[in-house]
Amino acid sequence: MLDVTYHNLLESPPEDEATAWSDLLAVLYLDRSFGERAIDREAVTSYLVTDRENQGSIYSAVARARENARGLRDRISTELWEAINRFYLDLGRPDLETMVVHRPYEVFRTVKSQCQLISGVASQTMPRDEGYRFIVLGWMLERAEMTCRLLAVRYAGLNNSETRMGFHAWVSVLKSVSAYEGYLKAHDASLDPTSVLEYLLLDREFPRSVLYCLRTVEDQLNILAGPSQQTAVGRAIGRVRARAEFCEIASIVDDGLDEFLESLQIEIYGVANEVDLHFFKSGTDLQIHSYRSA
Amino acid sequence: MRFDEVYGPDGVRPHYRELMDRLESLGVDDLADRFGLLDSFFQTLGITFAVSGDERGRDRTWPMDLVPRIIPSKEWAHIESGLVQRVTTLNRFLDDLYFGSQAALRDGLIPRWLVETSDGYIREAYGVPAPKGSRCVVAGIDIVRDSAGEYRVLEDNLRVPSGISYVLENRVAMTRVLPVAFASHDIRPVDHYGASLARALRSIAPPAVDHPTMAVLTPGVANSAYFEHSFLARQMGVELVEGRDLVVDDHIVYMRTTRGLKRVDVIYRRIGDEFLDPVVFRQDSLLGVPGLLGAARAGTVTLANAIGNGVADDKGVYPFVPALIEYYLGEKPLLPNVNTYLPWEPDQMEMILSRLDHLVVKPVGEAGGHGIVIGSRADEATLQRTADSLKANPRGHIAQDIVDLSTHPTFVGGKLEPRHIDLRPFVLSGDHIEVVPGGLTRVALREGSLIVNSSQGGGSKDTWVLDRHEGGQGAISTR
Repeated sequence: MLDVTYHNLLESPPEDEATAWSDLLAVLYLDRSFGERAIDREAVTSYLVTDRENQGSIYSAVARARENARGLRDRISTELWEAINRFYLDLGRPDLETMVVHRPYEVFRTVKSQCQLISGVASQTMPRDEGYRFIVLGWMLERAEMTCRLLAVRYAGLNNSETRMGFHAWVSVLKSVSAYEGYLKAHDASLDPTSVLEYLLLDREFPRSVLYCLRTVEDQLNILAGPSQQTAVGRAIGRVRARAEFCEIASIVDDGLDEFLESLQIEIYGVANEVDLHFFKSGTDLQIHSYRSA
Repeated sequence: MRFDEVYGPDGVRPHYRELMDRLESLGVDDLADRFGLLDSFFQTLGITFAVSGDERGRDRTWPMDLVPRIIPSKEWAHIESGLVQRVTTLNRFLDDLYFGSQAALRDGLIPRWLVETSDGYIREAYGVPAPKGSRCVVAGIDIVRDSAGEYRVLEDNLRVPSGISYVLENRVAMTRVLPVAFASHDIRPVDHYGASLARALRSIAPPAVDHPTMAVLTPGVANSAYFEHSFLARQMGVELVEGRDLVVDDHIVYMRTTRGLKRVDVIYRRIGDEFLDPVVFRQDSLLGVPGLLGAARAGTVTLANAIGNGVADDKGVYPFVPALIEYYLGEKPLLPNVNTYLPWEPDQMEMILSRLDHLVVKPVGEAGGHGIVIGSRADEATLQRTADSLKANPRGHIAQDIVDLSTHPTFVGGKLEPRHIDLRPFVLSGDHIEVVPGGLTRVALREGSLIVNSSQGGGSKDTWVLDRHEGGQGAISTR
């Protein structure tokens, strides 16, 4: 998302810049922690990539993933551990901060390819045991929620724009979830906001659509926790998946997209909390913080 | 005296100041680093091409230069109107020729024999309809800048012009490699090309079709422009097909799919006329589709570009385009041609032969810079050979004043050096005409060379058309 926003903005009128950055921070739930600092390209990029104070920065996330992986060395394959550790070491290079300001493309490229490497290594070296299923479960829950969030934030700003820039903005929404080429195939290169919405929410083949993610989560939970109707977590995922499965884009838009997305997110958080209760009983209560009040 | 795009009589031209300052502040080492990054960008994308003469058969990475070419919005507006005017005329002329009353021939604007002796003139294409009269759906018009700084049309490419994928990928590469320089200019985007092309193609579907199925027809993976064919199919979200994927039954074109045959309404074909349909044209062609011309004639499928466009980009027809503009549109041409002399006119032939060392001689049907003789740089033997072939086949050649193409600083051998450039803008004709801002700037990487074709050692530049702020004023404050 950062890569796409960054490079898309280079071709956009300067007046779009601040909005785009604050939208991105909002999508990532980092708008509050970013605080009152001046919003510009350099500040936001550094904050999101290298800032060690920022718990949500790429550096912090990878450092934490590596700490977790270290504690789970017996559960994950050596190849997976090495991939994660390598990524962590790459991000530790001393000139990363200057790199990200002056030549961000190289940093973005490394981050993306390392993430792809890690998910590929996981899927090719991990037995399909509980550990692997929890990895997939986590990916898919987070991805479903993130796509909702992205749509909520971006759609609000773009709904009314039929301009040339509107076109480029929709392209950037699609590209930021690697959906551009898939969308074009499905829709003959006509970029219509409702179709974009439908594709990212309800498509059955695109592996990042909300519906696809929810179906995968349900599949994993059926195996991890048993038949869905017998457990609270199973009922929670069944409800939200069915809701996405059987709704139509036209009625979502008519009835209010914001409300729909927000309630979907609340339900996804509900699933995450039920997962926690069912398997870990840590009692962490995850809550959505509304982008609308931000 | 040649025209340099960046350096004028008073130093750096205003619209280049911001860029040149920034490049200078980066320093040569940093530039060299970024140049390496460009190379790896194109390698990762797999944009390479074979160079003739490399016996080891290695592919070379697409050579894009680090220094972009900038066109101020006012200059672009002029180029754009000139292109719209020219392509509108060429569409009218071709439709007149292949579907109308051939009024331009009847009224003597251009000699009938000249048209009928053109290799690009396809008699069999007479009567094939072109919805909206749009025959040059994708046109690439080559423009050069002469020593006075005037933009002139050097040639028209109306058959299967290529290069647009490089325009789009150059832009992506540029934003990756020089993001900060890029951000300090207000540059018109180009990445809507796929959508615009799809819209143009959709608008010329056979009249009764509401939701046309479109496809890109390629000669196959061995073709040097295959990258572009697949790129465009991907950008439009349509199928990329080869001749063997299509069948014609009862004048209707279908493509084979895993679920049976699917009707196709619009074909963006990147195969030359003579290979399109072995029933009518070359019978040994394995690339084409038997019966395709019949289907096009029946109007059940639209081919883009239309068949037979080669007659209008024949270099022997080129000198008549300005008159055609006045004839069809009643307007003065906005973009002049390069001064051209016609060897088939006896008095002009005499003049050509006497001044051969001051002229450039081109074969009328070739593309890619092949067969061109630049008189001032040719040796005696070459001049003699050229004179002989002129006399043997006057209709096969034209002669032109040598245009000393404008130069542009280019990153060569670790420093900035002036190199000659041209420009190929792309023009789309559907229900209206749309010009993609900028186009492909090609650069002759060899010192002093006037030949910019990539098959002959040419490179390319990202081309920035400025939107509003002329002086490249730093709209976003940053280091």
